[in-house]
Amino acid sequence: MPDPILKLKDAAIYQGDSLVLSNVNVEINQGEFVYLIGKTGTGKSSFMKTLYGDLPLTEGEGYIVDYNLKTLKEKDIPFLRRKLGVVFQDFKLLNDRTINDNLLFVLKATGWKDKNEMNTKVEEVLTKVDMKTKGFKFPHELSGGEQQRVAIARALLNNPELILADEPTGNLDPQTSVEVMEVLQDINKNGNTILMATHDYALLLKYPSKTLKCDENQVYEVVQRKP
Amino acid sequence: MSSSFEKHQKRRLVSSYFSVVLSIALVLFLLGLLGLLVLNAKKVSDHFKEQVVVTIYLKDSAKQVETKQLEKSLAMSDYVKSTEYVSKEQAAEFMKAENGEDFMDFVGYNPLQNSIDVHLKADYVNSEQLEKISTEALNKNFVDEVSYDNDLVNLMNDNVKKISFWVLFISSIFTLIAVLLINSSIRLAVYSKRFTIKTMQMVGATKQFIRRPFVWKSVRLGIIGAVLALIGMSFVLYYLNRTFPELGLLNKPILVILLFALVFGLGILITWISTHFATQRFLNLKTDQLYY
Ligand SMILES: Nc1ncnc2c1ncn2[C@@H]1O[C@H](COP(=O)(O)OP(=O)(O)O)[C@@H](O)[C@H]1O
Ligand SMILES: [Mg+2]
Repeated sequence: MPDPILKLKDAAIYQGDSLVLSNVNVEINQGEFVYLIGKTGTGKSSFMKTLYGDLPLTEGEGYIVDYNLKTLKEKDIPFLRRKLGVVFQDFKLLNDRTINDNLLFVLKATGWKDKNEMNTKVEEVLTKVDMKTKGFKFPHELSGGEQQRVAIARALLNNPELILADEPTGNLDPQTSVEVMEVLQDINKNGNTILMATHDYALLLKYPSKTLKCDENQVYEVVQRKP
Repeated sequence: MSSSFEKHQKRRLVSSYFSVVLSIALVLFLLGLLGLLVLNAKKVSDHFKEQVVVTIYLKDSAKQVETKQLEKSLAMSDYVKSTEYVSKEQAAEFMKAENGEDFMDFVGYNPLQNSIDVHLKADYVNSEQLEKISTEALNKNFVDEVSYDNDLVNLMNDNVKKISFWVLFISSIFTLIAVLLINSSIRLAVYSKRFTIKTMQMVGATKQFIRRPFVWKSVRLGIIGAVLALIGMSFVLYYLNRTFPELGLLNKPILVILLFALVFGLGILITWISTHFATQRFLNLKTDQLYY
């Protein structure tokens, strides 16, 4: 059995001085699709931020895609994020440039040099999310669902070992949520590991999978009842 | 609403770029002048020192042989650059030309004295040397009086140092102002893009990579400022050279070219370093701190 992609042991998650989650013990293995659920304010985003280095891990142990979160240096953070794909509730596309340029920016920023290779890669990821024909548009010319699909495409650019999606359907209507969810499911079937924070229980029922729950400063695995 | 805010931001940005260019141009211009001054300090001060005149007034009783003898011995000594005999008639003409009226009309006779004007070599223009020369001359019984402007001489000796000091002082103040202006305009530019910058960091861009376009932008402003400063320096150089060709300001063009290159390089360096530090703060913020 290979090492897990993510492993937290007795970790505590802090927002500044206030403790958000304690005694976190979580393992995620290659190829899994894991939900992180919980009411608003229970610490899902804080948990995610700790994983991609936006919050420091000061207590307990944490290993993610071969990085030790405890000893993570400021200068390592960009390189950690290149091995992760992060998807946000508010998409966070660069609004001053087209979809293609959004994706090309990431490739340039992460050290790609060859023009043709970059263009091929951009087309490849846009095809995966079914947005191939919209590359010339600006983010504000797309619907929310389309923007989120682009954000997912962006997360795929550097073949991430783990995709972290923080309420990716949080700003979308139910119909569009399902479409975005289908994209994530497809990607997962192709072998990508995904951790998705959500409070949309309807999606859980429709696409059941391993589920972690944040509640009262704890994270624990819940077993889904089959309806 | 947001678009009018953005327009306002843009206008602020443009005017702040303008002040950055202007202050950099000023700094570099002043530093360039300082450089010119330093390169030519000796020549400039020598030039002014050699304007100092020691006038030896002769008694009317002085014989022509004695006068000639004195003039000759002065001309032969190593501290004298040139001498000039000025008869009292010449002096009167000179005063007439200068004042526009003939004072002999009121006085009825010429009260002036024959004199010898002595120009000294620059290295000997100092109080002690002048004192020595004047005592020597006064020992001669046909010499009536020796006059020179001692204050002026001291002023000359201090001036070059003083001017250099003030130029340096003013340049440092302007450098400080330029750095502060760059800092605030870069902050404005970076601040208006703070969310974009954060997103860039989220997708794995390094600080260096994100900083690069900002640095490039202000280095371009620095280059514009430097070019303005160099144009200003060229004008100054051109007019100085025309007014004081004897200074030979352009005798060593390689030094002038080096100075220009230095000023240009300094423009890039100042903007580079201040942009580096101005962006640093925003790059170190965590996502949640952006909203404050
Ligand atoms: N920047 C912050 N500073 C201090 N406390 C914060 C900050 N962001 C979130 N919190 C607190 O941390 C807790 C968890 O928030 P969050 O991780 O955003 O929860 P969720 O994503 O599950 O809604 C909340 O109590 C919230 O008030
Ligand atoms: Mg959240």
